[in-house]
Amino acid sequence: MQKLGFALLAAALLSFGFAAGDTLVIAQGVDATTLDPVNHQETPTGNVTANIFDNFYRRLPDGSYEPWLGEAKALDNLTWELTIKPGIKFHNGEELTAEVLKFNFDRLLDPKKPLKYSTYFKPIERVEVTGKYTLKVYTKKPFPLFLTRLTYLWVVPKAYIEENGADYFANHPVGTGPYRFVKWVKDQEIDLVANDAYWAGKPKVKRVVFRPIPEASSRVAELMTGGVDVITNLAPEAVPTVNGSGVAEARSVPSIRNIFIVLDVKGEGPLHDPKVRLALNYAVDKEAIVKHVLGGFGVPVGCPLNPYIFGYDKALCEPFPYDPEKAKKLLAEAGYPNGFTFTMSAPSGRYLNDRQVAEAVVGQLKKVGVKVDLRIKEWSTYVKQILNRKLDTDAWLIGWGNAQFDADNTLFTLLYGGTVEGGPPQSKFSYWKDPEFDKYVLEAQQIVDQNKRKELYRKALERVRAGAPWIFLHQQKDIYGVAKRVKWQPRPDELLWAFDMEIVK
Amino acid sequence: MIAFLVRRLLLVGVVAWGAATLAFFLLYLSGDPVDLLLPLDASPEARAELRRAYGFDDPLYVQYGRYLWKLLHGDFGVSLRSQEPALGLVLGRMPATLELAGAGLLFALLLGIPAGVLAALKKGTLAELLVMTLALLGQSIPVYFLGLVLIMVFGLKLHWLPISGYGTLRHLVLPTITVGTFVTASIARLTRNGVLQELRSDYVRTARAKGLTERVVVYKHALRNAAIPVVTIVGLQLGTLLSGAVITETIFAWPGMGRFVLLAVEQGDFPVVQASVIVFALLLALVNLAVDLAYLWLDPRVRYA
Repeated sequence: MQKLGFALLAAALLSFGFAAGDTLVIAQGVDATTLDPVNHQETPTGNVTANIFDNFYRRLPDGSYEPWLGEAKALDNLTWELTIKPGIKFHNGEELTAEVLKFNFDRLLDPKKPLKYSTYFKPIERVEVTGKYTLKVYTKKPFPLFLTRLTYLWVVPKAYIEENGADYFANHPVGTGPYRFVKWVKDQEIDLVANDAYWAGKPKVKRVVFRPIPEASSRVAELMTGGVDVITNLAPEAVPTVNGSGVAEARSVPSIRNIFIVLDVKGEGPLHDPKVRLALNYAVDKEAIVKHVLGGFGVPVGCPLNPYIFGYDKALCEPFPYDPEKAKKLLAEAGYPNGFTFTMSAPSGRYLNDRQVAEAVVGQLKKVGVKVDLRIKEWSTYVKQILNRKLDTDAWLIGWGNAQFDADNTLFTLLYGGTVEGGPPQSKFSYWKDPEFDKYVLEAQQIVDQNKRKELYRKALERVRAGAPWIFLHQQKDIYGVAKRVKWQPRPDELLWAFDMEIVK
Repeated sequence: MIAFLVRRLLLVGVVAWGAATLAFFLLYLSGDPVDLLLPLDASPEARAELRRAYGFDDPLYVQYGRYLWKLLHGDFGVSLRSQEPALGLVLGRMPATLELAGAGLLFALLLGIPAGVLAALKKGTLAELLVMTLALLGQSIPVYFLGLVLIMVFGLKLHWLPISGYGTLRHLVLPTITVGTFVTASIARLTRNGVLQELRSDYVRTARAKGLTERVVVYKHALRNAAIPVVTIVGLQLGTLLSGAVITETIFAWPGMGRFVLLAVEQGDFPVVQASVIVFALLLALVNLAVDLAYLWLDPRVRYA
């Protein structure tokens, strides 16, 4: 009789557990700042809004994009035609039409009330509705990045915002996405429930809760006790603990962020010689850094791009082999047989074990006779020095996450030297001048033919490879802690899209 | 008495002005926050635009004057991150912080005073040694370390209590112990010393001589006199509790002011930092006033004019 009682109790507990099992809890470090999907700068906010809204184009796990709410095609260098999938409805019943989409563009282009995403759509001149589901977008100059920027166009409802105002909307969002907004208790939780009428299919997870847990070890503890299902920014040091817990495991994905060291800040001295810069690339053992400093959570890379980015070329991005002998030979040829000394800055705590990476590079360069005076800097001071070009060292370590997934955002922004007459001035992050490179990169901004652009970027990468303006290190991996009951693979764009997730027994 | 209150309340105003000024200039020294607010690759025009929008391009005295003028009108500015009024954001997080500080204080009083009395009465015994050792430990253990140990033991290993979050009494337990331990230890030590001193004094000897029970002697006479320094320390420790809340709230994901202001500092959200500093300062000034008033009630000899 007693045994039967226990069995019943166990069954009751199990069924209770099953009911609670419908809810997926995601813990990030901070709360959202707003739920307006185009008026923030933070990944944690975007992760919440991505579940409530849809973007016009969506990003695929390999970094490419595809039409989502509709399709766009170039009519000529300055005109695009957009066609919306018919029958898509917002959670409040409002239909997504060309008028609504025009409202979205107008809202972003309003100079009086700029939104944080307005900058992505600056080249657009005006938008014209041509049918119930079609519209034309005219740009001031060729806008080759238009399609990739459409992944930033998270579509909001027109009538709802006009009726309730933007402030109310930012706290009570209504979208077309896989989840409906339920409630937001600031600094505690944001509750979402599946939109069973979702146009792309019924979501598998019933309820999703986002919780902000600032302290990394508290996030890990919650994951290990089953309090949460997914945590972000798992430290490599915590990976063995999580994997050993039996309930959760670490899952990682190469991110869009490359880590590298910019050389030749002063434009004179040994670092100004391309041979010396090449030597430094051969003198650094990228494999060893990834293995020992990053616990394997990185991928060595030999160019400014990575495989997710349009314009990447595998042959030109192979990591420079670790070859100290070759490095010494190159240094001798450049006139530094006994090495030399230079200074380098690096942040601490900004990127995965950044300080230790910098220290490892210093140690390895010492082996070929090059001494580095390393200065670790506090992030806000560092950012100011970088932005104002007031660095007091010959080299600096930085990470670059190319969220546009297009070579332009890396090559132009970080390396353009301003040598083209009548062209833009040198990019503020660039300390390298290569007229040929500059020409290719500028040309790629002027045309919308993606095949021609790809060829231009291949040529530009050849120049980068030969000029070695940086020490190329690695592509960083994002590490998540995930409960074993959750079927999900992390994405390179850091998005936590619950529509991808499933709870399994 | 009325004059005293008026004077003290005026002083509270001066404290608020001082805090506001300090917050303004310290933040100003840390540089304008536009560099941190925008992504690295934002255009110079976007930076200039934002700088203009927030008035960071005006001369210092203009910015300071405008800031004070707005404060006088109850305008603490708008959060640079969420575009909502800064004061509202801060005050919205105050109840959770007060709840935690209150629970911490209650915990400290309920545990610290009896422990201190016990140590005084049992002087020279194992009980005193135990209380004093624990008190020493409680005062020396760093808050974040204690918090993590509690999470490990009661959350991870025993599964008795929730690790983070807010809402139920169970959620309150670990943060309360974390934030209250230091204060408990201080109160216990102070109570012990106070009671010991009072027990040696003349009036206690008199009380005993006239045949009062030991219970009345200790609790009605000695403890009441020993309470004055304890009240002082409680007032002072409320500051510790509030600042301890910064770390405790972060560890336990407690939705209070401490954690909120820490994030605002990291993100360069000036208006929110300034509003928090002023609110914290006012809170402390009022607590000090309350302590002074408590003396009146405890010690009839104290008179304010």
